[in-house]
Amino acid sequence: MTWRRALLILALLAPGLGVILLMIGSVFYVAVMQSFGFYNLVGEDSFSLEHWRKVLNSKQFSRALSYSAYIAVVAAIGSVILAYPIAIWLRRPFRGSLVISALLKAPLFVPGLVASFLFLNVIAFHGIVNQFLMWVGFTDAPIRMQNDRGAWGVVFLQLWKNMPFALLLLTGAVQSISDEVLDAARDLGAGSFARFRKVIAPLTVQAMQAALIIIFIGAAGDFAFQVTAGPTNVQSMAQYMVFLKDSFGRWNQAAVVGVSLMILALVGSLLLAIVARFVLRSGNRW
Amino acid sequence: MTALRSIDVSKVFEDGFTALADINLSVEPGEFVTLLGPSGCGKTTLLKIFAGFYAPTTGRIEQDGADVTHAPPEKRDTAMCFQSYALFPHLSVAENIEFGPKQNRVARDERLTRLNELLRQVDLERHRDKLPNKLSGGQQQRVALARALAMRPSVVLFDEPLSNLDAKLREQVRREIRGLQREFGFTAIYVTHDQAEALAMSDRVVVMSGGKVEQIGAPEEVYQRPETAFVADFIGSANLLPFKSAENGSVDTALGRLTVAAPPGDAARYLCWRPEDAEFGTGEGDNVISADISSRAYQGSYTELHVSVPNAPDQRLHWPGTAGSVGARISFRLPPERIRFVRGELA
Amino acid sequence: MVSVAENVVETTRKKPRRKAGALNRFLMILLLTVCFVWLFVPFTMAVLWSLVDPETGWEHPDLLPPSLTLLRWAEVWTTTALPQAIGNSYMLAPTVAVITLILASPTAYCFARFDFPGKGLAQVLTLLPLVVPGFVLAIFFSSLIFSLGIYSRFLSILMAHCVLFLPYAIRIMTVSFGQVRQDLIDAARDLGASPIAVFRAAYMPALMPGILASLIIVFIQSIEEFAIAFIVGAPNFTTIPSILYSYLGYNFIRPNAAVVSLILVVPNVLLMLGLERLLKSANPAQAGAKG
Repeated sequence: MTWRRALLILALLAPGLGVILLMIGSVFYVAVMQSFGFYNLVGEDSFSLEHWRKVLNSKQFSRALSYSAYIAVVAAIGSVILAYPIAIWLRRPFRGSLVISALLKAPLFVPGLVASFLFLNVIAFHGIVNQFLMWVGFTDAPIRMQNDRGAWGVVFLQLWKNMPFALLLLTGAVQSISDEVLDAARDLGAGSFARFRKVIAPLTVQAMQAALIIIFIGAAGDFAFQVTAGPTNVQSMAQYMVFLKDSFGRWNQAAVVGVSLMILALVGSLLLAIVARFVLRSGNRW
Repeated sequence: MTALRSIDVSKVFEDGFTALADINLSVEPGEFVTLLGPSGCGKTTLLKIFAGFYAPTTGRIEQDGADVTHAPPEKRDTAMCFQSYALFPHLSVAENIEFGPKQNRVARDERLTRLNELLRQVDLERHRDKLPNKLSGGQQQRVALARALAMRPSVVLFDEPLSNLDAKLREQVRREIRGLQREFGFTAIYVTHDQAEALAMSDRVVVMSGGKVEQIGAPEEVYQRPETAFVADFIGSANLLPFKSAENGSVDTALGRLTVAAPPGDAARYLCWRPEDAEFGTGEGDNVISADISSRAYQGSYTELHVSVPNAPDQRLHWPGTAGSVGARISFRLPPERIRFVRGELA
Repeated sequence: MVSVAENVVETTRKKPRRKAGALNRFLMILLLTVCFVWLFVPFTMAVLWSLVDPETGWEHPDLLPPSLTLLRWAEVWTTTALPQAIGNSYMLAPTVAVITLILASPTAYCFARFDFPGKGLAQVLTLLPLVVPGFVLAIFFSSLIFSLGIYSRFLSILMAHCVLFLPYAIRIMTVSFGQVRQDLIDAARDLGASPIAVFRAAYMPALMPGILASLIIVFIQSIEEFAIAFIVGAPNFTTIPSILYSYLGYNFIRPNAAVVSLILVVPNVLLMLGLERLLKSANPAQAGAKG
């Protein structure tokens, strides 16, 4: 590796990777610094653990943290559990399978806010679901389904948006398993579930992990779904962070929440991926 | 009791393609039967029907007397050796071999005994913990074989297992497969398009073409006494000539009037003789033919000569050693007892 | 004996298409019903709501709106900040797309054609923007630019979007550069072509699909991006998603939200379909995580 070559490579990487590192690094730096009392937009800069103490002790924070973690886990695992059987079913083409595949992947083209709107529209007081339930006689008066306390609205939206993505990743992985390998497993006595556990799952672990990680991170940092369709008695981490910033400009505390959210996203997703791999890989040790 | 039987089996796929028509085949226990034919003749389809991956459109499959026509592969007492080996890429050699027994809940001790014995028999003990992508083609083939045998099946089905190996290796693995088959005593159904392989390995050869069986018989029989034009041409090489019966049991052909030992039957369509049957020497006796050499190809132990004949394709003959130049005249003799008649058309 | 051609025919024959068996048909019908509920119904509702006559409205128990008109669209157009938002979004997005492509290409070229220690790590690091939660990025980015004294909203959002979507552009262009054939480059040079001519002859054919895909995907992502536009753009610089958000809060004005939703989704879907048609072989959706 000559000097010239090294310099050339660095120069090539600068406008792309370099910009990314610079920008993300700065943002991360600012967030961490603000959480420790620096980079204050008003007032003095001074190192302080006060903000961390305040936030970590606050009940709102622990609720937001556990709520976001819950949504993220449910969204990730739910999407993958829904997507796996479908990916396996669509593994080899049959009549109509391309249409089904396209229809299932359609939500990928719908941005989150639009999905929120469609959902709210459908479950609203005068929305089609209520009208259908009343027509069927299930209920006499419209049911209030918006902003439900159990966060089912948010979960549904997360699954609606993320299952197609998991399907995309898993379909690619499942299709890369050759027919003959699966035939060999059948020939040696493995039924459907055994084939999944011992052949398909181990060979698609990486795609599954990628799906889990990306979905977890996205769902943990959700703002739009929560604000539009989520329960009003608890906030998501992102929502809480924006709230702290907007009200009284508590940037430092917002920074603490922001850093915590980043940690949740990273650590949570990696943990999930490791646990899932463990669960699937162990299939062939039994 | 026959080990495996197909009765009036035919297979028509959804798009209307008829892969098999009226296949009747009986295989005895411990027999090594080869399904031989060109690509598209239906041999692999038949093999997959025996394995259970396809169900026949009509007809039945019986194994050890029981009707297994609709039994899925996981329930049949057959094990398949795939053309691409189909080893589980995420499992080691030992784990691949143990897959079947584990699946069928074979006791641990028994499983390990089988594993160790098989590893020894296919000479892969040193590689037991390796992943398939670290093995050569020949080694992968042997793992596939060991994996099938670990099930102690009564029937092993081979789908062109040697086609991905190079020539030298093919011969060696061929002998190993046959050796293992004799040692274990399982029934083997072997698919190949390589006629040399079929002749060398089999107890019986089933020659197939266009979804139908052309001829079934021991290798010697199928080679020396082909019944159809297809079989004559597919196995070894053959010169096929239309003929017309003449008096005294001789026939008229483009080579002239020939004496034959046995008269043609009613269904006979072509006269057939093999290049190695031509005799060179004195130029006396019946069936002496003179012709001009149109091309020659030295093959080592013989030279293949093409001689031109009016109103017929060039006839091929094998001249021992090296001789003959293009354009020269050559004479040879066809012994009457080596001339046969075959029915049917060329594929 | 057996020719190579016959072998080819055999292998294409080997896997006949399965007809949908009974179980498959049942599952298909089940899924089609689910898709009907999942996709078709919500979208129809959205379209209907956007066409509701402002005069008559649409109340329960009417199953369908009593009268349909495009008046609502006109009203939204003239009375709200939508035209401005559309202008902003459609000015921002192409700029982002082009700049991102330019920034991504050297790095992509490097990844595709060089090997160096730490390459794997570098490739993983380019995914960093995808790993940071959007709102964290938005809030602390706005804090950063504020402390740097940058007041132009457009410029700020532009910078943020470029960085946010660089991973997509880099990934797509890396694949494209990887598809440039060395033997074509060699042949062009051997025939005496100047560097520009070599570029046009050997590089461009492989790069064109990637360039198109990158431009379109980054464009779509920028139009739909919400977190940064909302946080950094507030209050002056509105984009279509932030307008939509304003109609989804306490102010749930359904017809307006419906109109804006359609304006957001329909052009994007058309663009994506157009892209897929243009690139029969490449699979652009695989490079991007949507939403």
